Amino acid sequence: MKDETMRIEFTCNGKLTSVEARLDMRALDLLRDLLGLTGTKEGCGRGECGACTILLDDEPVNACLLYAAKLQGRRVQTIEGVAGADGSLDAVQEAFLEEGAVQCGYCTPGMVLSARALLRKNPKPDVPAIEEALSGNFCRCTGYGKIVRAVQSAAGAAQRAEGAVQRAEGAVQRAEGAVQRAAGKASS
Amino acid sequence: MSGETLRVVGQRVRKVDGIELVTGRAKFAGDLVFPGMVYGYAARASVPAARIKGIDVSAAEMSDGVLLALRGGDIPGPNIIGILPPFDQPILATEVIRYVGESIALVVAESREAARRAARLVKADLEPLAPILTIDEALAEGARAIHPKGNVTCANRLVKGDVEQGFAGADVVVEGTYETSHQEHGYLEPEAVCAVPSADGRMTVYASCQSPFHLRGHIAANLGVPASSVRVVQAYTGGSFGGKDDVATEIGSLAAVAARRLDRPVRIAHEREESIIGSNLRHASRIHVATAAKKDGTILARRIRVLLDGGAYASESPFVTVKALVHVAGPYRVPNLLVESTSVYTNKTYSGACRGFGVPQSTFASESNIDELARKLGIDPLALRRKNALKAGDANATGQTYPASVGIVQTIDAIEARRGALPPLPGNDGRWRYGRGVACLLQGISNGAEGVDVVGASVQVSQDGSALVGVGLTDIGQGARTVSAQIVSEILGIPLPRVTVRSVDTDSVHDSGPTVASRNTTVGGQAVKMAAMEVRKSLVGMAARMFKVEGPLVDLRDGFAVLTVDAAARIPLSDVATAAYWTGYPLMNLAFSKAPDASFDHETHQGSVYIAYNYGTHLLDVRVDTRTGAVEVLRHLACHDVGKAINPLGLEGQIEGGSLFGFGLAHLEEVLFRDGRIVNANFADYALPSIKDRLPTEAMTVEDPNPTGPYGAKGVGEPPVAGAAAAFANAVADATGIRFHRLPISRQEILLALKANEGKG
Repeated sequence: MKDETMRIEFTCNGKLTSVEARLDMRALDLLRDLLGLTGTKEGCGRGECGACTILLDDEPVNACLLYAAKLQGRRVQTIEGVAGADGSLDAVQEAFLEEGAVQCGYCTPGMVLSARALLRKNPKPDVPAIEEALSGNFCRCTGYGKIVRAVQSAAGAAQRAEGAVQRAEGAVQRAEGAVQRAAGKASS
Repeated sequence: MSGETLRVVGQRVRKVDGIELVTGRAKFAGDLVFPGMVYGYAARASVPAARIKGIDVSAAEMSDGVLLALRGGDIPGPNIIGILPPFDQPILATEVIRYVGESIALVVAESREAARRAARLVKADLEPLAPILTIDEALAEGARAIHPKGNVTCANRLVKGDVEQGFAGADVVVEGTYETSHQEHGYLEPEAVCAVPSADGRMTVYASCQSPFHLRGHIAANLGVPASSVRVVQAYTGGSFGGKDDVATEIGSLAAVAARRLDRPVRIAHEREESIIGSNLRHASRIHVATAAKKDGTILARRIRVLLDGGAYASESPFVTVKALVHVAGPYRVPNLLVESTSVYTNKTYSGACRGFGVPQSTFASESNIDELARKLGIDPLALRRKNALKAGDANATGQTYPASVGIVQTIDAIEARRGALPPLPGNDGRWRYGRGVACLLQGISNGAEGVDVVGASVQVSQDGSALVGVGLTDIGQGARTVSAQIVSEILGIPLPRVTVRSVDTDSVHDSGPTVASRNTTVGGQAVKMAAMEVRKSLVGMAARMFKVEGPLVDLRDGFAVLTVDAAARIPLSDVATAAYWTGYPLMNLAFSKAPDASFDHETHQGSVYIAYNYGTHLLDVRVDTRTGAVEVLRHLACHDVGKAINPLGLEGQIEGGSLFGFGLAHLEEVLFRDGRIVNANFADYALPSIKDRLPTEAMTVEDPNPTGPYGAKGVGEPPVAGAAAAFANAVADATGIRFHRLPISRQEILLALKANEGKG
């Protein structure tokens, strides 16, 4: 069985991806060795440190504990898929830099992805929620304080951005309303 | 740069190498791929002590995909690594096994899995020896000698004043024995290297490492080639904390030998278990402290014996032993002092450099003892420390005096001021006990007694006005590249985004020794500053010619040369640099920063040892749950005299991270040995602090400028470890009324002690 391979098709960072992989291969090795996505790190190989965190259908999972075959038909995001194609950082990445939440950077990809998964489900996480969401991601450098602040700051930035979008949408609706009213008057 | 106002130094700036880290684009050594690359995996000893009769690699060689199996005899050079004399550590053991996990052969195969599988087929024919597993066993009369010269790795004495007389005049003597356990570095990236041979006979090794020149020397020697034919490039390094030195030379040498034999690139990447059992730990310690004092709290004398368990090989034991010797009396005036510091061999994974380098162990012992003295005399613990704290001009433990930058009193005062404004701790009730601990520490900056201290740095400015900086010390996550970039930006007026700091490549920077001893900012920063100042002369000289004024009227800032008398008159630095190039002014400089040599008496360790010390005071409040033994840290103030904070953002990160490292040592972490075997060599069983364990650290600084550092700066990477560990122990003692004499003071230990006390009560 170990030499048997299968074709695995899944969406990786927004792109339909098809790759021939051995049945006993880990998702971590598929991403790193076959796709060259080395931003996903191996820290322990036993699901204890979180360095290999990826998002599988938006849920954080340890890629070292996952068979590659389990990616079949799923949607995967790795750290390489977080920043925009133009290189623009997302709010969590920005916040990690701004708050000094990165030292050696080896845990950072996993941290960023776990934080993004949290903020997607809970845009206003309190400190216990942040602790819970990141408790599977070890960091030896920072002491974690700046990581917590970075996640809070990213949440705030996202809310400010959402507020801006809502305000803009409101303005558009008001403008549309005005246009319709004006059109109504004109037709009457 | 007018000299008065600093524009970039002292600012909170983002890491200059941060973007590649948050996007996952940074390539660590295990991420690198080269055409034809193959994989090495070590076979390791499974017993702690044995004589080797033979190592049979034939089955491994026959295994699928295997290309090569190396034994010690296959190493062209001496098959030895080690940073210091006595250079007692083989790369692959050939005669004797001295610890479980010691490498005995390397298997190289087409895939990592094939190499791993085949390594299990290596058979060692062994004659087991009775292992020596404790300090007492090592020192017992008639004990088997682990190394030919016996079981004492090194022994040092520090003698100051007349300790007998000091004790004779004492009103009170407080004595105790304190122990600490082995700690694992626990960097998230396990060790990795990739050796790439080239057609011209050279070998390039990309390594996760701390001291690339150590690697170059050992790799060249073990290949049997000149150092000039080996190039070591530091890859992005996922933490080190002292841990990626010996082991990086081990796997770097092995990968290079295999790569030469196969003429193919070879990667060796450790798994977590290998990283724990097969690379150095923090020394376990047993420290006996006796302190003599007057009733008013004045310390008269201390008599201290430090014993360190250094495991199977010397590694950095000789230096750790001296560091403990020099630091164990603390940041105090101790007129009469006798310290003996000894490191011994045992049949366990070797111990060596680990963030703090003997100082956390020493500080825990010394500060526990000082706390007991305060309690016995009924003096406030902070007041007692302040009374004895060193001031500028005072002779420290080695008799060295400093005219300035002895900031311990300022850190005590800063903590005292904060303490005065805090509400009192809640009173103990049935379930909860509250306590407050303080601790003071000092940590020598620079190699000092540990060897010559030279750093080379280069700065070159291109015609477009951007700068490239090279320095021989590594960034291992602590933010060193950012500090170098800030210094160059400050001096040359080049905006930070246009300053690039290279990673270390031994081909293109001067051998700057190891990245250790919190010396990067202090000694390395000074070299960068010197090189930048030379290049500045060319730019200022050129701009002065262009402005037709004298040099002193020109300043460089924000990407321009400007007239100091009229900031509106400005020339882009790209124009100045281009003109300087075409005029033939040098735009590159290589500078050396050499710290003053240590000069001390090797019998008494009296003399000048370190160029500066970082001083600190920590305060930590806890709440202990008497039902479970759980400790909650309610408050943690960590104040350090850093001379000058170059990047406060990075500095806070060092204090916060270092403090949690110390908290781990004090409360959570312990490498557990059973019959010489580490039984918790993974992150499920070894309790690395998680986000839920984090401290509410409030990083505080005082800045008493250090004349030997750039802008007065002193390193801060290691010192917080000792402060947090010792303050935690004192806080738990205050809360429970029980003095714990061994780290870690785990939840379980606390619960057991509370129960035992109840029994007595």
